[in-house]
Amino acid sequence: MTRTTLSVRNTPRRILFLYRRLFGQQLKAILEYSSDFYVMIGAAALTQIVGFLFLWVVFSRIPVIQGWGFWEVAFMYAMIYFSEGVGSLFFEGTWRMLRLVNMGELDRYLVRPMPIVLQIFCTGIGMNGIGNIAIGGAIIGMSLYHVDIDWSVTSVLAALVVLASALAVRIGINLAANCSAFWIRTSGNAFPIMVHNMGEFAKYPITIYSLGLQLFLALGVPFAFVSFVPAAVLFGKEDWAAYGWLSPLAAAYVFGIALLLLRIGLRRYESSGN
Amino acid sequence: MSLIEAKGLRKVFRQAVKEPGLRGAVKHLFTQRYVDKHAVDGIDLTIREGETVAYVGPNGAGKSTTIKMLSGVLVPTSGEIRVDGFVPHKQRMENAVRIGAVFGQRTQLWWDIPVRESLNLLKDIYQVPEDAFRRNLDAFVELLGMEEFIHLSARKLSLGQRMRADLAAALLHDPKIVYLDEPTIGLDVSVKQKIRSFIKQMNRDKGTTLLLTTHDLGDIEDLCERLVIIDHGRIIYDGSLQAVKDAFARERTIHLQLGSELEDPSLLFSDLPEVGMDRTGPDRLAIRFDRFRITASEIVKRIITQADVADFHIDEPNIESIIRRVYEGSLDLELAAESPVAASREA
Amino acid sequence: MKKYVSLAVCSMQNTLSYRLSFVLNFLGSFIALLATYFLWRAIYDGQSELAGFDWNQMKSYLLVTFFANSMLSYYSESGITNKVMDGTVAMDLLKPLNFQKARLAESLGSCVLEGLLSALLISVLAIAAFGIPMPVDGVSGILFAISMLSSILVKFGIVYCTALICFYTTSGFGVIWARMAVTNLLSGALVPFAFFPDWLRNVAMALPFQGIVNTPTTIFLGMSDTREAILLIAVQWFWIAALWLLGRSMWGWAVRQITIHGG
Repeated sequence: MTRTTLSVRNTPRRILFLYRRLFGQQLKAILEYSSDFYVMIGAAALTQIVGFLFLWVVFSRIPVIQGWGFWEVAFMYAMIYFSEGVGSLFFEGTWRMLRLVNMGELDRYLVRPMPIVLQIFCTGIGMNGIGNIAIGGAIIGMSLYHVDIDWSVTSVLAALVVLASALAVRIGINLAANCSAFWIRTSGNAFPIMVHNMGEFAKYPITIYSLGLQLFLALGVPFAFVSFVPAAVLFGKEDWAAYGWLSPLAAAYVFGIALLLLRIGLRRYESSGN
Repeated sequence: MSLIEAKGLRKVFRQAVKEPGLRGAVKHLFTQRYVDKHAVDGIDLTIREGETVAYVGPNGAGKSTTIKMLSGVLVPTSGEIRVDGFVPHKQRMENAVRIGAVFGQRTQLWWDIPVRESLNLLKDIYQVPEDAFRRNLDAFVELLGMEEFIHLSARKLSLGQRMRADLAAALLHDPKIVYLDEPTIGLDVSVKQKIRSFIKQMNRDKGTTLLLTTHDLGDIEDLCERLVIIDHGRIIYDGSLQAVKDAFARERTIHLQLGSELEDPSLLFSDLPEVGMDRTGPDRLAIRFDRFRITASEIVKRIITQADVADFHIDEPNIESIIRRVYEGSLDLELAAESPVAASREA
Repeated sequence: MKKYVSLAVCSMQNTLSYRLSFVLNFLGSFIALLATYFLWRAIYDGQSELAGFDWNQMKSYLLVTFFANSMLSYYSESGITNKVMDGTVAMDLLKPLNFQKARLAESLGSCVLEGLLSALLISVLAIAAFGIPMPVDGVSGILFAISMLSSILVKFGIVYCTALICFYTTSGFGVIWARMAVTNLLSGALVPFAFFPDWLRNVAMALPFQGIVNTPTTIFLGMSDTREAILLIAVQWFWIAALWLLGRSMWGWAVRQITIHGG
């Protein structure tokens, strides 16, 4: 019997299709088996609300921090959480990389005709992301409402570009940090969590930091593009708004590094043997 | 042109060495020592389309490592591989559609969704045409008896069911090559039977090339025509299974239970140096001989002159015992081609 | 008693071998400290005092908070939670060990390392950048040391009970995050109580969390006289006892669950 060998081309359309398929299946499985994700959603929401209260308490005593008002800072704060939520809900697999590498579960990914990154992203769903997206989204909405913004076609487009880049930067940082799994075998995801914690800085206007730290947050691990730059663009802070143009570049930069790390890491991958 | 070509394949792992105790832990903070482990140490392997190859060796010999390099999971430290003309770890997509893999301990299925859904997902991933998918699925369900569990999630399957599902998953897209890494480990006899006949049929009907690593020598006898033995990262035998069996077709082993003491039994056979002798217990002897050179009854006759024989039975060689002796180093297969019993010396 | 000491030593050993994980976790909380420091510096820009705190006092507050929080860090807490969730609970029933005491011993073991690292870092910062006034009073110093040790024990009580909740919900990290959020707010770690509206301050004082940060910082900054300090420490000990007992009964309940349902 003659066999026709299949050939597969990974077009963007196919990738989106596969993502939907895999995500859908994961979601079905989770809804059926885990009932305790409500706790996680609640915890995520609670954490964010507590932080928001902190800001509110602080700003009840002073009107501005270096020219940034309450709602503007709240926006930045919420963007960090919102982007984290998007990462958890749609790209949770990144956080499972340590397990994938250490348990040799990458083996089956390497044998399938599908981009490894896609398979990694779809390895799981972090339902807690819903909490972060909901509360973060609410705070962002409120801040946009409370601050005077000049809405026009260009400003809406700029906002969309900057926000999309912000999310891309966040996810790229996650991916790059989690690639450390190929080098650091310790349990508990310590390195990616530390990198994730650098986002703490970006909850507040980065102008409050020393110059070195600012450069680090802009050029090194560019969390500035997740919260600060979108805020600057949206709220018309002239000194900083121009950096909005660099947002897509920042996203490309982060993803470039992440994919490079992934490639190098796979070369070193040792699986876990019998 | 061969389907699989591997030349000079090497894989080296680095492992950290740590001393025990609190002292060791603190020391490890400052200096770290590493040791190089040569899992695969220079392997040449050529496999033609449609061949069924058994890849055998003791634990830690490098079997899994080789398979992982061939399938593209591991990047070789040095050496070349081409599978159907492609380099597995470099041309991953092309390689992936041509192969199927069953890694014994780990499943290809998604854990929390029904097997049927997993197979559907794989259909989309491999872009299997609808009619081919239907045809294969129906055939597999019947041959592997999957009807009873195809709607269950992988989490709920027994080992035997999971293995069958994994096989179906691996072959769904009609791959040219199937790598099976310990596929029947831990399974009971009836399931093993089902799986073996299924694999045989795939090879027969579709010409699927088979590379099988296993400790189960029944798998080898049933499925494979070619035998490759690996130890300490090197191939120590590569030839047809039949040739091995033929080489030992004349070998027999007689197990004797003695009723009385026998000082030095080998003296009785000093004229036949190729007769092999093992003490397998306080009054038990295992004597290996070439039945064309000496008969069983002749052996017993000689023993009886010196001691009582309480009981005896005669073994024919099987692959299991042959390979076990190769592992233990008491058998050199190259030599065996000439004289089986002569080859059975302490290596 | 000896077996618990060796558990503590074993825990230290483990921490050393997982040193990377340990250090990275530590750096994570240090990052939070840095961010908070810069934030407050920006807040105090142009203000001489807020809610009764001047900038120097605020700096001290941040450092003491950091020190208190670095003990029984996330690293230790996940250690306990993992043990609760991975079935060690069932295994430990077979050992001549009290699960609660064993976890305490282990936590104290790693606390030694956590405390050392934290103190080292703070000293460096204090000398190099921050320049903080130390409490000169000998009695205050002793009371501060006592309150700090007590704070660790209070935190253990809370962490332990939270970990046992995880046993019930089987969702590990969600419960821990929730605890961290609540604790951060109600212990004074996020913001000193003086900044709270009255009603919130009253709620916080009635709960155990204030024993973790508010008590030691208040004593350190000399914001309470000796009598008040002793009272605060007494409250810490009340909570230590209450949480220990709560932990014990939760543990008993968990054990019953295992033996009835088979884990």
